[in-house]
Amino acid sequence: MNMANATTAPNTNEYAGDEVSAIVLDPGYSTTRAGFAGEDVPKSVCPSFYGQSDSDAGPQYSFGENAIHDPRANLEIRNPWGSDGIVEDWETATKIWEYSITSRLTGARPGNPAKNGLNDAHGDAMDVDMEALESLEKPLEESPLLMTEPGWNPQKAREKYIEIAMEEWGTPAFYLQKTGVLAAFASGKASGIVIDVGAAMTSVTPVLDGMVLKKGVQKSPLAGNFVSNQIRMIFKQAQPEIPLTPHFKVASKTQVDAGAPAQATYKKFDYSPTDSFGRHEEERVLTEFKESVVEVWPGPGRFSNGTNEEIAKSQPGRPFEMPDGWNQVFGVERFRAAEALFDASGALTDPENPRPKDEHTIPRLVQAAIQQVDTDQRPLLLQNIVVTGGSTLLYKFNDRLAYEINAIYPSTRNKLIAPGSAVERKYASWIGGSILASLGTFHQLWISKKEYEEHGVNIVEKRCK
Amino acid sequence: MPPFKDEQIIIIAPGSETTVAQLGLPESFTPARIRVRSRMFPAEKEGEWEPFKVRRRDDKNGLPAPPPGDPETRPDDDEVLYEEDRVSEEGAVWPIQQGRIVNWPCFFALVTHVYNTMNPPFHTPILLITQPAWTPREHERLTQFFFEKFKTPAFALMDSALATCWAYGVHTSTIVDVGKDKVDVTAISEFIPHIQGRVIALPDCGGEALTNGLMAKLKYRQFSRDMCEQLKKSPICELLPPGTPLPGTGDANGQDGSANPAALASTGALSSGPEAASALGIAPRGPGADTEVGDEGLEVESEGVLDVASIVAGGKMSEYLARKEKEKQEKAAAKKKGLEAPTAAARPIRLPNSKREKATFMYEDHRLLDVLKGMNLGTKGMGDMHAALDEGPQRSRQEEAEGEPRSAIEANRSADPTSSSRSGPIRREIEVGVERFQAGSSGVLEKIADAIHRAISAVDEVNKRSELWDSLIVCGNGSRLRGFKEALMVTLQTKYLISPSSATIFTSEIPSNISTPAGTGANTPQPQLGPHGGPSQVNPLLLAATTAQNPHLMPPGSNPLMSGMISHNSHSSHGQTPSSIKIVKPPEYFPEWKDVGFDESPFLGAQVAAKVIFVVDQGASKGYMTRPDYNEQGPTAIHDYSL
Repeated sequence: MNMANATTAPNTNEYAGDEVSAIVLDPGYSTTRAGFAGEDVPKSVCPSFYGQSDSDAGPQYSFGENAIHDPRANLEIRNPWGSDGIVEDWETATKIWEYSITSRLTGARPGNPAKNGLNDAHGDAMDVDMEALESLEKPLEESPLLMTEPGWNPQKAREKYIEIAMEEWGTPAFYLQKTGVLAAFASGKASGIVIDVGAAMTSVTPVLDGMVLKKGVQKSPLAGNFVSNQIRMIFKQAQPEIPLTPHFKVASKTQVDAGAPAQATYKKFDYSPTDSFGRHEEERVLTEFKESVVEVWPGPGRFSNGTNEEIAKSQPGRPFEMPDGWNQVFGVERFRAAEALFDASGALTDPENPRPKDEHTIPRLVQAAIQQVDTDQRPLLLQNIVVTGGSTLLYKFNDRLAYEINAIYPSTRNKLIAPGSAVERKYASWIGGSILASLGTFHQLWISKKEYEEHGVNIVEKRCK
Repeated sequence: MPPFKDEQIIIIAPGSETTVAQLGLPESFTPARIRVRSRMFPAEKEGEWEPFKVRRRDDKNGLPAPPPGDPETRPDDDEVLYEEDRVSEEGAVWPIQQGRIVNWPCFFALVTHVYNTMNPPFHTPILLITQPAWTPREHERLTQFFFEKFKTPAFALMDSALATCWAYGVHTSTIVDVGKDKVDVTAISEFIPHIQGRVIALPDCGGEALTNGLMAKLKYRQFSRDMCEQLKKSPICELLPPGTPLPGTGDANGQDGSANPAALASTGALSSGPEAASALGIAPRGPGADTEVGDEGLEVESEGVLDVASIVAGGKMSEYLARKEKEKQEKAAAKKKGLEAPTAAARPIRLPNSKREKATFMYEDHRLLDVLKGMNLGTKGMGDMHAALDEGPQRSRQEEAEGEPRSAIEANRSADPTSSSRSGPIRREIEVGVERFQAGSSGVLEKIADAIHRAISAVDEVNKRSELWDSLIVCGNGSRLRGFKEALMVTLQTKYLISPSSATIFTSEIPSNISTPAGTGANTPQPQLGPHGGPSQVNPLLLAATTAQNPHLMPPGSNPLMSGMISHNSHSSHGQTPSSIKIVKPPEYFPEWKDVGFDESPFLGAQVAAKVIFVVDQGASKGYMTRPDYNEQGPTAIHDYSL
């Protein structure tokens, strides 16, 4: 891969004549990012959660942000990703990804004016028409596609990716790249160690000259969702228990004193919204809590070490108000929520949430990843520690990470590369993909439709390393 | 680059309901001169479109016309005349639905119609306002169409939310655009929309949903959709802030109930002043709740006489007319009876609309008109029928013609030049109760409020959020309903506003900046920052204490230090937002717009932008694509030319 071009935009005259703007699709557990190559942010960021309501006519799926926050009877909120960071439900995953592309990039019915005339008679019956047409037309017939995958994606899943892209979407060319490499590209690095703390998974990927060191890839479930669960436990274990009420249950709230029970008027439903819906909405509150209250103990030492807790106690608390008006100042508790990312013994536990494994903490992952790399390459990697993923935006996360890494590798020059802007941190692998797919050399990489037809799905193993 | 002149510029803003356009920028920006309902009718020949309903007509010799829907009766007759029916909407195709273009040929035909209506000279740059729901690929398609169809020398696209920003002259704001069948919420900071978290085309929340809300409430009285639509647009329909009790049945005293409805005009329909006045002006003799006539009228209506059209169609016309005549006389008698007293006496005891249990509005019965036309009564018959059925006093027609063009939606419907007394709408008076306050009962406001919360929470930079909450702009014709904005604000405030925590006042703040350094020295205390925010110059707790408990006691901006602090400094005592919610004041310096309201502010913003990109900076900011650019780079390059 030629990185020399990564920083300079390709000259339009060079290949503008037949330039086909590629689409970059970066699916994740929490959101699916899609956009045109060459742009600096993904135009389309759709939730990977989808709504499913079962009726007599079979399950009805609804996608997109607008559909999944509307409390409707028997609307279940689901996610096609498995807990191991690999897609489980391919059918809906395909639909979600397609939605993320068609809803905001290409339009529901791309470039087929001949078909439109058919709808004149019944312009109102939009939904029916769309569905019928979608089966006739392939959404990506004009655009090459670059997709991202987690570093531990098994061969079967990779083959499925190309199959979806080629067969269902009809893309003329396809390429698959690992998120780790792309996140490194986004920071302008061809080598480095990428720490990606996402929603479902934390991963550590060593990248050398644009190639992932496969055996070095580490992953763990201690990520954003885990922190959310820790917060839930903080609420549960508090005395008295802190009620977590999502916005949709509240009609209006009244101001109450800190710690006093909420005095809100609640909305009445003639049906009960499903648990999965409620949980998904609670997650919104938890996100807000993470943004405004949770703090990572910045070090030195672990939170439980020595007098650290005492020091934390003396720091001012942060108030938080629930959607129902309940509010309290969170003092030392707010340090506990994310502590287990670094120190498994700091985790809050209960029978359903056992203590996480020590080797799943971020320092141990980094250690394990570095272990797999040749000794003489290690300093190079440690100079380029790329931090990415939405959960790394936790307050003081980087301070703690720097402390932990320096504690493990005191003798090397360790450097964290963490983009300051939240956008770049959240969408790093998409941005890397955008860079890669806009390079003049991208067409040398991709698998064309013809090649796919010749060799079948396993070409992806040979070409996308 | 030949510079463009003000009078050459075309602006087109398509919408689901109305498409507005204008040729030339006036000295002082005005609301759009051309308003077209966004629909076309399929022409006889497939693939062609007509701007108006075309129906067969044959009124020579008074021959009975072929029944409608059966054009084959006289296929060889060359004498068949076609007439353009400018009021009827039967069979119309609406190419934009929920902000999305669903029927491209029809949409292009609509744009062409709009373009031709303006009759532009040759050298006209075009600025097109885009809906948020349009995708980049669709932008390319539009670009191609405009360059190739109109041979325009320059073309630019502008996002409608961004245009609103320009209109208000603010760089950071949250735009809530309430349309016909959708709501878009866009957070914009520093003129850059946050596209990632943008709420696009939230369904079931626009003006249409409000109509549906009314319909659901008035179902038991068999209100038709059209009635509800017109009720919604009438000044008596209002959204009350959540929690406001509806005017109850018990306490409505007869005396006040009889107050002349015309008085309502003075209670000032906020966003629809002149419209309200004109609409009420034609209803000066509403039956009071305490008069016999009024009660009887209500009774008759609840018996189902609302649907006059079917009575007429069913042939019971004369019966109905006779009864109506009787009613009319009674009414006139009642009016005469109380002629001395009312006007003077009623005035002092005016009640605002929101306190009145019942009110009446004028309903323009298009369906009835259609039915009458279908009966082919001939010119005279039509005239008679019309006179018999129309309850709207003719004398107010003049008034209406003046007032109407200001009303955004109605304009080209009834202020149509063809509306002579014969073919004009037939108006009837209809009384409604408290249902008129319940348009939003299906949770429209809550959905919109939730969308706003979602859109702002999705802004990645946490410290930008409070500023976004402090600069809401509600626009779009769906929000014209009286009380909409106020009710939305109350909903937001009761649901999302974070009050200063009482706890922070009592916890000790002092140690935060002087905490004990750890032995390593690495814990050297830092001033307490917000999680991602800037430093606070004012002790956040001081703020919390001063504003504690009752933020309402602090009118926004009353304390310059305080308000400045909140907006510039991303954090008060809370990392959470919003700690305050405000609506941006519309600009003062557009007198023409001030009268009409800023519901169509995207169009105003487009005028400002067009002036800047086409005229003032002469293309320096690459705000538009020229024809040579297009020829060289093709439609995909449009993305490089935008604001």
